[in-house]
Amino acid sequence: MSTSHADHPRGLNRRDVLKAGGLALGVLAAPRAVHAQTPKPGGTLVSAQTTEATGLDPQLVPALSRSRRAPLMYSQLVRFDPDMTPRGELAESWHTSPDGLSWTFKLRQGVKFHDGQELTSADVKFTFDRLFDKSPGKSDFIAVDKVEPSGKYEVKFLTKEPFAGLLAALGGFWGFIISEAGIKKHGDLNKAALGTGPFMLEDWKVEQQMVFKRNPSFFRKGQPYVDSLVLRTIPDEANIVAALRTGQIHHAFIEDNKNFNLLKDEKTLTAYRSSRLGYDFLNINASRGPLKDVRVRQAISWAVDRAQIMRVAASGFGRLTAPATAPMKQWQLPEEAWMKYYKPDVDRAKKLMAEAGQANGFTVKLGVIPTFPTMVSGAPVVAAQLKRIGITAEIENVEYAVWIKRWLAKDFDMTMNTTPGYADPDTAFFRALHSTKGQNWNSWSVPDLDGLLEEGRRTLDQAKRKAIYDRVQIMILENVPHLWLFSADTIDFTQNTVKGFRQHPTTLLYGFDGAWIDRV
Amino acid sequence: MARYLAVRLYSMALTLVGLTVLIFLMLRLIPGTVVEQMIGADAIASPAMVEQLKRFFGLDQPWYVQYSRWVGHLVTGDLGTSWRTGKPVLSLILERLPVTIELTLFSVAFALVLGVAAGIVSAIRRDQAIDNVTRLSTLLGLSVPVFWQGTMLILFLSIYLRWMPPVVWVDFFADPRRNLTIMVLPAVCLGTAAAANVARTTRACMLDVLGSEYIRTAAAKGLASRAVVLKHALKNALIPIVTVAGLQMGILLGGTVVVEEVFTLPGIGRLVLWSIYQRDYPLTQSTILFIAVLFMAINLAVDVLYGILDPRIRYG
Repeated sequence: MSTSHADHPRGLNRRDVLKAGGLALGVLAAPRAVHAQTPKPGGTLVSAQTTEATGLDPQLVPALSRSRRAPLMYSQLVRFDPDMTPRGELAESWHTSPDGLSWTFKLRQGVKFHDGQELTSADVKFTFDRLFDKSPGKSDFIAVDKVEPSGKYEVKFLTKEPFAGLLAALGGFWGFIISEAGIKKHGDLNKAALGTGPFMLEDWKVEQQMVFKRNPSFFRKGQPYVDSLVLRTIPDEANIVAALRTGQIHHAFIEDNKNFNLLKDEKTLTAYRSSRLGYDFLNINASRGPLKDVRVRQAISWAVDRAQIMRVAASGFGRLTAPATAPMKQWQLPEEAWMKYYKPDVDRAKKLMAEAGQANGFTVKLGVIPTFPTMVSGAPVVAAQLKRIGITAEIENVEYAVWIKRWLAKDFDMTMNTTPGYADPDTAFFRALHSTKGQNWNSWSVPDLDGLLEEGRRTLDQAKRKAIYDRVQIMILENVPHLWLFSADTIDFTQNTVKGFRQHPTTLLYGFDGAWIDRV
Repeated sequence: MARYLAVRLYSMALTLVGLTVLIFLMLRLIPGTVVEQMIGADAIASPAMVEQLKRFFGLDQPWYVQYSRWVGHLVTGDLGTSWRTGKPVLSLILERLPVTIELTLFSVAFALVLGVAAGIVSAIRRDQAIDNVTRLSTLLGLSVPVFWQGTMLILFLSIYLRWMPPVVWVDFFADPRRNLTIMVLPAVCLGTAAAANVARTTRACMLDVLGSEYIRTAAAKGLASRAVVLKHALKNALIPIVTVAGLQMGILLGGTVVVEEVFTLPGIGRLVLWSIYQRDYPLTQSTILFIAVLFMAINLAVDVLYGILDPRIRYG
């Protein structure tokens, strides 16, 4: 096996592993020098996933299983590179007006939809009109007033106030450009697809497989290299492991990091590890009993040993993280600024509990969704750690649909949680943590933080924004709305014959454009 | 016979009516609906949007209205349309039925061949080593959970033999060889417990029959022991075996849910499971009802088969 750290900004080095109390020192091979090879076109690439998409409409379906598949069929105006810098995709270039209220995007010319129609600014307008009208994703574009074409290949985004998060939103889960013809033809795009992406949906048998064929008029010439792509749904990851071993599939994204150990010694496979934009966290409902008291939440934070949780939940393959995760490089706090909050200190925690009048502890419910491996294995560790300061966390297994129902109603004490993450601190923090204008899942309120979040949204100057979000992060760490537990690495395996694959920090399937099969 | 059939069909119809109510209410007792599934955790959904979706799926109406709409369609032979795939439920069932039927038949065949043989051998070699081994094996066969057995088989074969059943489904008529390769492991897994059941029943019945006087008479007449066992004893022991096999068929139909999930077979079992997760009510309701009808039909067929196996049984 060889290990590639292709998009690992810092690599998970020995020091990190030690710091995280990690296992597995031996499993990390040195990055192998990548020799440029000329891609060979052709062949069918078979990839497997545990989760089927619930629908494919890039504007109606919020599930991550939909977002992951979207880049196969659709393109965005802006796309984030694996190192999370924004790059023009359907947009060639862009600029903002001096007052910061208008963004002009120049579109790439000659881009064709799968039905042969050319992409114009009218499609971009149609996309966002429908998004603002129908989509739960409109929250990503909350400050956008309207989208107006200013030429056949030029489009303007007019915002109500300066909106620094626009690029991140365009390159996010809801920024995929659709065509009006597709909607006219299919009603919605849940079972069909019509985009400008590298692959065209040919056949979909629910809970079996999606078959895509190469889009011959894809705007990046030569790509994609494979003739077709098959996404198999194999619900049990043990079977995905077996299918990789026996060469029945070319690629799989491993959801349960424990399975890394089962495959790391396979000579026919290549492993890819990279850091993830997303993270696992522990929500605390600040409107429930003792959890209202910030000292109790702080006590919880001091009592929890994040490194231990990561060792159990992700087999140690990951890293502890500040509110801005590793791929959000330009927003990162220096490690010494946040790591000090993560040093478990039971005495301090007990003292805080006593100050809050909770020296005898209390009982709370801790929600877990049974189909999420990191939640299932992480929760007992959290519960055991909280026990040390007198908090009895009763683990409650809640099936996904039920969990969502309770989540939307904010009906929980504490719950394990996981998110694919966000590229920009505005989308990452505003929606979750602003007490009145956001969703405020934790039902908390820190007025100073609200002010900072609003200021961050309006500020376009990068250096000033950075200073704001540095303060935001520290304020979050001190007031503990939820606990950032760890950010698990993404782990992918491909057969050695697969070249050019690159996982993306969002885990969206951008990586197949450049993938090719040696010895087709 | 005709009267018997009429009574049975009548009671089946009554059971089905009860079943529709039960399925319908039980599904609604599970918290969460298709709307929450569609919205997901990370979205901002306005209450208006939630209401709009509820209206779209008819979830805003009282349960009896929803129920009568479903049953009203059923009466006209319309099983409804799946919410999540947009396809008619009937076409989804028919698309996947062959897989489940094939799996069930193979499992029953496996169970009968292995179970009857083991049961006979065990009975005629009572309390000898082979009997003890068989009895222990049947106990194991009954105790090992199907999902564990399936996963272990796949892991074991993939690690030590570098082999696993092909992950891409192929229809029997398109490529029989490949299809059978896919089916072997699931059928063995699904059939193991049934084989153990059949073996135990066969052994018990055979012991019972072998101790009876006409067997002694047959042996005394000088008949070859092979003929005594297979012709005289087995034939008379068959009725309980057929009953068990028939019941097993129903249990196996239910068992396909697990086996199809473990082996990723595109059958009805996986369809039901997926539809429950998705809270796709029309799909779940009508498919479960469909399986129930199938189960009842098999039971009826078994009862009718008694009369053929034993002419003394009369239906009045």
